[in-house]
Amino acid sequence: MRRKVERDQILGHEDEADGIQEYDNPLPDWWLGLFWLTIIWSFAYLVHYHFIADRSPEAALAQELAEAQERWPAPGEGEGTEAGLTLTAEAVAEGEGVFQTYCVACHGADLMGGIGPNLLDDEWIHGGRPEDVINTITNGVPDKGMVPWGPVIGPEQVNRVAAYVISKNAEALGREPGAVPPPPE
Amino acid sequence: MWGQAAIPRPPIALGQTPDQSQTTNWLESVDPMQYTNPTKVDESTYDDDIVRMFFGATVLWGVVGMLVGVVIALQLAWWPANLGLPWTTFGRLRPLHTNAVIFAFAGNICFAGIYYSMQRLLKTRMWNDMLSRIHFWGWQLIIVLAAVTLPLGMTQSKEYAELAWPIDVLITVIWVIFAVNFFGTLATRKVKHIYVAIWFYISFVITIAVLHIVNSLAVPATLFRSYPLYSGMTDALVQWWYGHNAVGFFLTTPFLGLMYYYLPRAAERPVYSYRLSIVHFWALVFLYIWTGPHHLLYSGLPDWAQTLGMIFSVMLLAPSWGGMLNGLLTLRGAWNRVRTDPVLKFFVVAVSFYGMSTFEGPMMAIRTVNGLAHFTNWVVGHVHSGALGWVGMMTFGTLYWLVPRLWKRELAYPNWATTHFWLATVGIVLYTVSMWAAGLMEGLMWRAVNDQGLLASPAFMDIVNRLDPFYWMRLSGGALYLIGALMMSWNFIRTIAASRSEVQAPSAAPAVS
Repeated sequence: MRRKVERDQILGHEDEADGIQEYDNPLPDWWLGLFWLTIIWSFAYLVHYHFIADRSPEAALAQELAEAQERWPAPGEGEGTEAGLTLTAEAVAEGEGVFQTYCVACHGADLMGGIGPNLLDDEWIHGGRPEDVINTITNGVPDKGMVPWGPVIGPEQVNRVAAYVISKNAEALGREPGAVPPPPE
Repeated sequence: MWGQAAIPRPPIALGQTPDQSQTTNWLESVDPMQYTNPTKVDESTYDDDIVRMFFGATVLWGVVGMLVGVVIALQLAWWPANLGLPWTTFGRLRPLHTNAVIFAFAGNICFAGIYYSMQRLLKTRMWNDMLSRIHFWGWQLIIVLAAVTLPLGMTQSKEYAELAWPIDVLITVIWVIFAVNFFGTLATRKVKHIYVAIWFYISFVITIAVLHIVNSLAVPATLFRSYPLYSGMTDALVQWWYGHNAVGFFLTTPFLGLMYYYLPRAAERPVYSYRLSIVHFWALVFLYIWTGPHHLLYSGLPDWAQTLGMIFSVMLLAPSWGGMLNGLLTLRGAWNRVRTDPVLKFFVVAVSFYGMSTFEGPMMAIRTVNGLAHFTNWVVGHVHSGALGWVGMMTFGTLYWLVPRLWKRELAYPNWATTHFWLATVGIVLYTVSMWAAGLMEGLMWRAVNDQGLLASPAFMDIVNRLDPFYWMRLSGGALYLIGALMMSWNFIRTIAASRSEVQAPSAAPAVS
């Protein structure tokens, strides 16, 4: 259906284009094909995304969460944190590694604080018992900028880093690890 | 009008210069009304002083903008380069870099290229010399004000539209003056036909005015503080409608206009296809204006608007490639000269990078690809394949082509142009490859999870630290590009100095101030 066009025909505008001549060659077939392809694909995508598959970002997120839930089931109520503190030398050493990776930026390499509070003094803002410390690390204190680390590093590493912090704190104050007051109020 | 092509006439073989007299007669016999026969215009009636002024400003601001770019690239690789001073930190120098290369370097070459070519294409001097001068000095004043206010931390916090409201008002005034002069020249043209380059210039002049005014609407609070008229998501949408079309109508359409004039002039070959230029021009300007929302995928923007931005970006692929095709196919029969002519070398690489980044852009606008690429250095690599590859190389080619014509003198160091070409090309490759690798690495590391479903790299700093080698590689690429631009500047300075000392004729007018 396409008209046969002679190739490389000079159009004859050059006197009005500072001497630049123009051919009037047909649009390359593959180029025109590509143009139609992107147009058809775009409208097919639109119809599929919004009306057939209904892939809103909310639906996509829900699906991803469901898949993750199936693959990595969340620990049951209290599970993981209930395991409590393991104050062995290995646990403390492992906790130091975790601390150096995630906590130093705010609490300082020497635990003396910075952006976050000092961890070596006698003041436990959110309680100093092992379960308090584990709770603070796991759930964070979003109001004050403390990240909830539980979902990021998992319960095991939370326990290790809690062991490290509690033992360093006890060491600095010359106390028995764990002999600390409950949270205020 | 397309029917004309069906009328039989002798075909012109590749590599053979078409016979002009035959062409003219043929067309006259077809449609005498379409054909005007303007008298030959003496070159001296054109205002080339204004071209020389914008030429000098392009070179000067180009070097400044690229130097700041190299400095901030160093800051990312080696933080002490921030110098510990508020005025020299990355956050303040980065907008200085983007404003300098977009509005000063690219802006001035567009004006230089337009003032040179439109007078010749329309066979008339610019409508009003005074408006041309106000445009030049006003634009340079805007650049100087930007260079002062941005390091001082005065910003509207809108990307590529950072400048404070009084400068925005000044930009509007100067742009309208440019537009009046531009359309005045168009109205008083001595030819009937309007060549394709001019269509692209028109889209530049009109659209930038609309984009700048709408996006900068704000309520002033103090002399340098203001509040945007829009809030929340609307503000973000208007900003990226502006932001992406700054790419489209400041860095693409005027440069396509330059390509349609300077590439066939340099190659001395006919433009491949008039009808392709019509189709890709209208498709490009129609589709481009809708693509802004692709900067806001997976944001609070309504989902349908995100889809709109994405599919218009995908449909933009072929219209963009139409420009690349018309550029590359115009070189048929001139490829042997690409080996020897640095101007054509610059144009070939420019058009190739245009094709590559306009393929990459639509891909990155696809939702799922964007989920991986967004906020990574891949975006930086994409922007620079366009900025260094397309805009920069088009600019260099145009400047090298203009020099002997504006100063009636061959280059002082002709071989340096080829060296510049290779430095710039290797620089772009180092830059884009390192940023692609860095961006992919970042995107993949951000989303990677271990076998317990936890983030594989939960400490963000770990990922930042691994960017270090890529940042150094990018710095080396940018430095090569800057060295090339410095060689070009020195080459031009020597050429112009030699021209001034030798010729005292009025045609060798005083150059840049």
